[in-house]
Amino acid sequence: MTPQEVQAATREGAVVVDMRPPKPFATEHIPGAVNFQFNRADLADRADLALPRDAAYIVHAEPDPIAKVAIQILGDAGFTVKGYLEGGLKGWKAAGLATAALPLLTVDDIRQRPDDFLIVDTREGFEYRYGHIPGSTLLEWTEPWSAMAAVTDDKPLALVCGDQVRSAYVASVLLRLGKKAQLVFGGMADWTERGYPVEKTAKSVQR
Amino acid sequence: MIFKQYRFEPLAQASYLLGCARAKEGVIVDPSDDLGAESYVLDAADLGLSIVGVFETHVHADYVSCARELSEMTGTPLYLHEAAKGLVKYDFTSISDGQVFDIGKVRIQALHTPGHTPEHTCYLVSDRARSDDPWFVLTGDALFVGDVGRPDLLVGDQALDVMDEATRARTQYESITRKLFSLPDYVEVFPGHYGGSTCGGVNMSGKVSSTIAFEKHFNLALRQPDAASFAQFVKDTAKPFPDNYARIKSYNLGLIAKDEIKGARA
Amino acid sequence: MTDIKETKLLDARGLLCPMPIVKAGKEMKTLAAGDILKVLATDRGAIADFPAWADDTGNELLEWKDQGDGTLVFYIKKGED
Repeated sequence: MTPQEVQAATREGAVVVDMRPPKPFATEHIPGAVNFQFNRADLADRADLALPRDAAYIVHAEPDPIAKVAIQILGDAGFTVKGYLEGGLKGWKAAGLATAALPLLTVDDIRQRPDDFLIVDTREGFEYRYGHIPGSTLLEWTEPWSAMAAVTDDKPLALVCGDQVRSAYVASVLLRLGKKAQLVFGGMADWTERGYPVEKTAKSVQR
Repeated sequence: MIFKQYRFEPLAQASYLLGCARAKEGVIVDPSDDLGAESYVLDAADLGLSIVGVFETHVHADYVSCARELSEMTGTPLYLHEAAKGLVKYDFTSISDGQVFDIGKVRIQALHTPGHTPEHTCYLVSDRARSDDPWFVLTGDALFVGDVGRPDLLVGDQALDVMDEATRARTQYESITRKLFSLPDYVEVFPGHYGGSTCGGVNMSGKVSSTIAFEKHFNLALRQPDAASFAQFVKDTAKPFPDNYARIKSYNLGLIAKDEIKGARA
Repeated sequence: MTDIKETKLLDARGLLCPMPIVKAGKEMKTLAAGDILKVLATDRGAIADFPAWADDTGNELLEWKDQGDGTLVFYIKKGED
């Protein structure tokens, strides 16, 4: 699909799924695009857990061969995919279309200024319970977008996960929903590596 | 450091992916069209890496390179030694001896090692997350496990015939003994070919890696006392020419189109 | 070096987090109490994930190691139901 076709489709409600890794996505992306990193081994499984089934998607992946494989995988998994953006972001910008950015943070940023953010942990419940950043709240990455829409952003939301793949997905959805979202690159891996404190929650009794 | 050696067995050719897991960036060295640019791109994506550059050790004569496709597909530079300027008929990013590239914590240093071809360059790699000291060297066709790249691929065509055989053999000997063998003994050697490939002589090992120390000890060509005996030894232990090498080289130089290669591979 | 003999092997290499855990959970359902599941993974998030998951599910993480080539190996013993 050409940039213009993609833009027209998004106006009719199609969702661009940007399958590049979090860093290039954060630097710039198509406004409203949802970040969902590509791989072959488990893209279908992850999409199945998280991506809404009631949306029509347009794949943005670079270079083009990845987009084609992604369409195949998502299509086989039962998702509605209208096509992919030919020429990637380069083509998009050459067509004079605007891009958006996702602000990046480091764990040091949120360690030094914890009161400037609402830290949101996007991992599974058991990961959060086992050890999370003090003061952070849980919003599992598999939650429906309607649940994500309920998050309040009086302060900017600093999204965290194990590294930054799941948190980038949630951050992009929040941005799409008009929230002030920022991505903590490095996530819990960096936080624990620096020896910063983690808090545990009593685990639930059920198995 | 993420390190992957790709092997295309029919030609016993090796290509490499080097990446930094933290920076999420990687480069490909000597990509083969037999595997295809798409396969490298998909593999890098599976590893969560963006490809930021394509390196060639030299212009190949035994296999069709997909460096140009890969560079274009990913919008990243194709790095080749400056001696290839004027030989190669397409644009590339020229590099020089000693030039250093950092991909996150992975450091690549170019070592110009002419002989097999005038532009041949080895790539010395360090993982700075562990140490700044060199870890391994990608030796292309300069040095193989137990053997050396042949210096006799001449065609008698201006573009392809760039040093006479004797000069090449001597230059090859000097490049290896002075540059490669001055590296620490522990440095690993990862070649561009192995086993049955006809890019080297009959002593090529099927092993896909070794060390500088191993080569000093076990490489029969390099145990010759001087450049002249080396040249003779290499001549005496040569294998048949690679299939269709003149046309493959012409394509890799940008002189002919892909569909003119004909019979390049099964 | 370990002498642990696994009952089943799960190769979760190439999977992004939390898929190694999700798959391990599925495999565990097919095992009996006391059986050992060996999991291979390349996702670094698994290092924090497996202890957390084991703790939460009543399974026991016996041992894990980094093979050095990017592969992580986990030995998990199924707890009593």
